[in-house]
Amino acid sequence: MAANFWASSHCKQLLDPDDVDVLQPLDRERGLTQEEFKLIKIHMTNHIWKLAQQVKVRQRVIATAVTYFRRVYTRKSMTEYDPRLVAPTCLYLASKAEESTVQARLLVFYIKKMCSDEKYRFEIKDILEMEMKLLEALDYYLIVFHPYRALLQLLQDAGMTDLTHFAWGLVNDTYKMDLILIYPPYMIALACIYIASVLKDKETTAWFEELRVDMNVVKNISIEILDFYDYYKGDTCKGEPVKGIPEERINAALNKLATK
Amino acid sequence: MMSYQDPNPAAAEEKLVAERYLKREILGEGTYGVVFKAIDTKTGQTVAIKKIRLGKYKEGVNFTALREIKLLKELKDPNIIELIDAFPHKGNLHLVFEFMESDLEAVIRDRNAVLSPADIKSYIQMTLKGLAFCHKKWVLHRDMKPNNLLISSDGQLRLGDFGLARIFGSPDRKFTHQVFARWYRAPELLFGTKQYGSGVDVWAAGCIFAELLLRRPFLQGSSDIDQLGKIFAAFGTPKPSQWPDMVYLPDYVEYQFVPAPPLRSLFPMASDDALDLLSRMFTYDPKARISAQQALEHRYFSSVPAPTKPSLLPRPIRKGESANQKTTDVVPQDGPVVLSPPRKSRRVMGFEGNIHHLGKAGEQVWDVKHMGEASSQSGEMPMSVDLEAIFGSRPAPRPTLNSADRSHLKRKLELDLESEYHQ
Repeated sequence: MAANFWASSHCKQLLDPDDVDVLQPLDRERGLTQEEFKLIKIHMTNHIWKLAQQVKVRQRVIATAVTYFRRVYTRKSMTEYDPRLVAPTCLYLASKAEESTVQARLLVFYIKKMCSDEKYRFEIKDILEMEMKLLEALDYYLIVFHPYRALLQLLQDAGMTDLTHFAWGLVNDTYKMDLILIYPPYMIALACIYIASVLKDKETTAWFEELRVDMNVVKNISIEILDFYDYYKGDTCKGEPVKGIPEERINAALNKLATK
Repeated sequence: MMSYQDPNPAAAEEKLVAERYLKREILGEGTYGVVFKAIDTKTGQTVAIKKIRLGKYKEGVNFTALREIKLLKELKDPNIIELIDAFPHKGNLHLVFEFMESDLEAVIRDRNAVLSPADIKSYIQMTLKGLAFCHKKWVLHRDMKPNNLLISSDGQLRLGDFGLARIFGSPDRKFTHQVFARWYRAPELLFGTKQYGSGVDVWAAGCIFAELLLRRPFLQGSSDIDQLGKIFAAFGTPKPSQWPDMVYLPDYVEYQFVPAPPLRSLFPMASDDALDLLSRMFTYDPKARISAQQALEHRYFSSVPAPTKPSLLPRPIRKGESANQKTTDVVPQDGPVVLSPPRKSRRVMGFEGNIHHLGKAGEQVWDVKHMGEASSQSGEMPMSVDLEAIFGSRPAPRPTLNSADRSHLKRKLELDLESEYHQ
């Protein structure tokens, strides 16, 4: 989807790094920690990803769903908005907004197939009710831009299409962070290209200089991404969920919310 | 179903919706739910609220409504309808729009209103401005017609009804060609193209321009084939040199060659600049067709007379007052009957007058007796576009997307979705 990012609501809604990843007061009252908040978001991102693979939707639908999910929790508490219901509903709403509708009953079916834990299971009516609440929480802004298109164009321009696979996987992993809420998508794409080129020993200094972008921002994003990998000891380039978060920690965190 | 029993606003139930809006009378039925008038108690502004009917098949917020919300949140422009607010109420989603007094169809049809060349220039300029803004944001409207060009109380024209609109610009993305009411459909759509761009909206704007000049719909085809016939009669059958891609379009059929009559003969009253702009908006090859932005830069808009200021445009008759006239417009004539649900006309018309063609269950049967005559004459006078002789000065009722079109469109959209599913 090509459209003008600079004039978009997405661009206007970009947040300061200090305004994302902030624990809502209600969640803090329940004893949720900053770290657990992060973990739940990573875990639910993976949940959306796995569910999306079952129902077979396009990459950008998944990316849009995760963006919705992360946006919601810059404004709403996990106590009021159960992440286990918000996640599939984000996928449902994103599939509609991206013109590739997935039926709610299919989602319900695959969730039941995927998850034995009763707390993840919801009925169609739960999803439809949450859809309305999500629309409100998102202030009805549904158009989201992603780094993928920019990534392909930039790699083409740099003559480094051999890095596509690797860089694409990196972009996928950026959705396990809140980067999409903070930086213009093409900057995220550039950071992923930067990491890929450094790791694969490609000389790109001249190319980056010619782009006339703020390299400090590119490097900052890159460092955030690398820190993330470091911290969660993820398997980098396969587009697979980041490993290393013990199930018990997630459950302990989710139990503090105890919504259902 | 909306109720027409009690159109008296005073008797209409007065209550606050979402603690903010004072509900007034029902205005009509839109694409996906009832529209009612209300007063915004916060601003004192009169608004129109669309209540979105929930999908029948447990599919949550209506897909079309979601599309409209999604796009209108990105499109803020003086010539595009403003989505003021959205809120859930009693399980239904409500969309709040500025209340629009009239629409361009009512203006064109109002026989008491005189449209000077400057007025026409103003209307088409506002139309193109709204369109250029959409296209700049990579949005195709896909349902341009006078009925969807709404007019505010201060005379501003704004594009409305984005239920069919889509984001374009992805290469090779396939779209359905079953968009637009037929009379406004570009030739590439009629030939079944799946990959089209902003040119389709420009063609439709050209039809609207022509309609402002003629005060009746310009190319009133009774079927897709007939529509192409009408187009070719007006502008001549396109030669492959004029439009190289034409012969490769999915539904391409060869038409008998007809030369183009002088454009001047179709629009005797139009200025040279107006004719030149028209011919560029009606260019066959979509790649060569003028863009909305280029059209705005055309000398027609910089030459005299200057476009009339919106606030000074002739006041269209109020919706309620037009109801009587509207019903008398539709006089039964002999010939085949096309049953076309006039959903859009209901949306904006109060129908507070006599609604004799309302069926019992609120079902409306609109006799659209169009063009039967024209096609039966087609043997001797193959490509006449002037229907004055047939209709007298009476404007023909406009078909909206008829039910066959709509079910086709729906199937297409579903197919679209299927094919996008695995990408």
